[in-house]
Amino acid sequence: MSAPLVELRHIRKSFGGVRAVDDVSLSLHPGEVVALLGHNGAGKSTLMKMLAGAYPIDSGEVRVQGQDVHIRSPIDAQRLGIESIYQTLALADNLDAVANLFLGRELLTRWNTLDDHRMDAEARKVFERLNKNFRNVRTPVRRLSGGQRQVVAISRAIYFNARILIMDEPTAALGPEETAMVGRLVRQLKDEGVGIFLITHDMPDVFALSDRLAVMKNGRLVGAYRTADVTEDEVLGMIIAGKQPEGKAQAHSR
Amino acid sequence: MSPVPHVLRQLAIDWRLVLMGAVLVVTALVFNVLSGGLFLSPENLYNIAQQTAVVGIVATVVVLVIVARHIDLSVGSVMGFVGVLIATLMYTAGWHWVEASLAGLAVAIGVSLYQGALTAMLGVPSFVVTLGGLMSFRGAAFLVADGKTQPVSDVFFQRLGGGFDGAIGVQASWALAAALVVLFGLKNWLRRRAKASYGVPNPPVWLDALVAAVPALIVVGFVATMNAYQIPTKDAPQGVPIPVLIWGGVAVALSFIVHRTRFGRYVFAIGGNPEAAALVGIPVRRVTLMLFALMGVLITIAAVVSIARLNAGTNSLGTGMELFVIAAAVIGGTALAGGSGSILGSVLGALIMQSIDSGLLLLDISIGLRYVIIGQVLIAAVVFDVVYRRVTGDAA
Repeated sequence: MSAPLVELRHIRKSFGGVRAVDDVSLSLHPGEVVALLGHNGAGKSTLMKMLAGAYPIDSGEVRVQGQDVHIRSPIDAQRLGIESIYQTLALADNLDAVANLFLGRELLTRWNTLDDHRMDAEARKVFERLNKNFRNVRTPVRRLSGGQRQVVAISRAIYFNARILIMDEPTAALGPEETAMVGRLVRQLKDEGVGIFLITHDMPDVFALSDRLAVMKNGRLVGAYRTADVTEDEVLGMIIAGKQPEGKAQAHSR
Repeated sequence: MSPVPHVLRQLAIDWRLVLMGAVLVVTALVFNVLSGGLFLSPENLYNIAQQTAVVGIVATVVVLVIVARHIDLSVGSVMGFVGVLIATLMYTAGWHWVEASLAGLAVAIGVSLYQGALTAMLGVPSFVVTLGGLMSFRGAAFLVADGKTQPVSDVFFQRLGGGFDGAIGVQASWALAAALVVLFGLKNWLRRRAKASYGVPNPPVWLDALVAAVPALIVVGFVATMNAYQIPTKDAPQGVPIPVLIWGGVAVALSFIVHRTRFGRYVFAIGGNPEAAALVGIPVRRVTLMLFALMGVLITIAAVVSIARLNAGTNSLGTGMELFVIAAAVIGGTALAGGSGSILGSVLGALIMQSIDSGLLLLDISIGLRYVIIGQVLIAAVVFDVVYRRVTGDAA
């Protein structure tokens, strides 16, 4: 068994008096897809935003490849190879696809000015890999289709060689063809050894893509199981009632 | 998409700017007819260019402030405060103008950082912070010299504001025009070479040349006009006024910041989607603070030009300027919702505002009616903005 890529231990986070995430421990291994399930407000996105550096952690430990790390900002997370694709895609709608791909990590010339042409050329290569028909890389992304916007968001993770990828409902706004593209991509990244946290409500996605699944309710972890060990009804029971299925072994680690 | 041919789309021309330019030209032609040819005389155009400089300088940076979803209502008051301070340091304290201006710069940056910190760090809306500033710093402008006018007599300093000796002369103006034309060509050539080296397709050479020829012609035409104006008591024509030169330099510098630096890109990203900007790791607060500091720098430049032009610092300096500056930015295509705007647009916007104001003045229209008309022009610009964004699908 390989060492975990990420270990979250006893993570807590409160907003005001509300415990958004309460003593959650979870791990992720190289080449593994862990689906993170639960109602809206269960704390999945908050947990992932802490890993991505968007929210500070109140208490608890994070280990990346066995090392204790302190993630205080998105930059810290990026340095550790943690990339996120948010449900909202986190795109600046007024900027073009190239600018969005490199947002916050622009390529610079030796005079410290933006190297637009190099970014343009590099971006075209990545977009090409994800969608052969993606040509209008220089129009503001607000004019792009949902699928193309998703390509821009995903290309960030790919270009910067994510080792740990957080996908927050990546297929929520997509058509069937684009959903299939995301599925292929998840499998491909998995083969390359990337660890993926997949936040989703979509049961077919969970059973088609994930190796393990973890369910959260009211900020607490209900349980973590091998996807192959549980049925859809049992998963729904955990999400809705917070009830652990009887006679199934938990799998907090692979 | 619009039925624009493919080659034209490749050029990434900002059609909105082209339209603004057309509006300016039409405005000028209409006033020229109505005023019996006075409007397009070199003297009038020289004066318009010179008068627009102060508002134009501040408008360039206000564009960025609005792009970042902020506003600055205190620009006129802060400029008044800093202007009187610089004039007082020169007149009453006897400082050299360079030292006085640097002191003014330090104070302006301090004021801007104070307002910026309240906005960026504490999250107080910039509208409220700068509305308070609008009043406070007007008061401060009064306090500096106890309301007394501070004359400025340094001859070199006075030239910065234009006026009798405030232009660079015919030869220097032509040299400047030639240098700019060469620069436009060089810039285009460098861009083509860079694109080619990364395998990015280039538009045909003739098209690029045509597009580069437009600004070149504008520059040459402008310099020719400025060189055609001669003050009757002088033995040589004026050439480009120094305040216009400063404004041009400011506009070029800010355009560079917008297009070539991370800071500029981050300002637009923050304006487009503040949450996304924070999520990808852009230091939103630091960028906002830097933006306000930049504001302080440009307000100082405007204050210097302004007191040099008036040959004095008075406590009413810059009163009501915030309206003209914001109007120039908005007429120039800056969306008040943030995320879009251009420096060149603010230049055109400021010129349109000043042209209408001067044109109405030439036609001897009363100040009351002038205000009514200019206010409605601003509203027309915003209406146009709303309709334009709806038609092109760019929801603001």
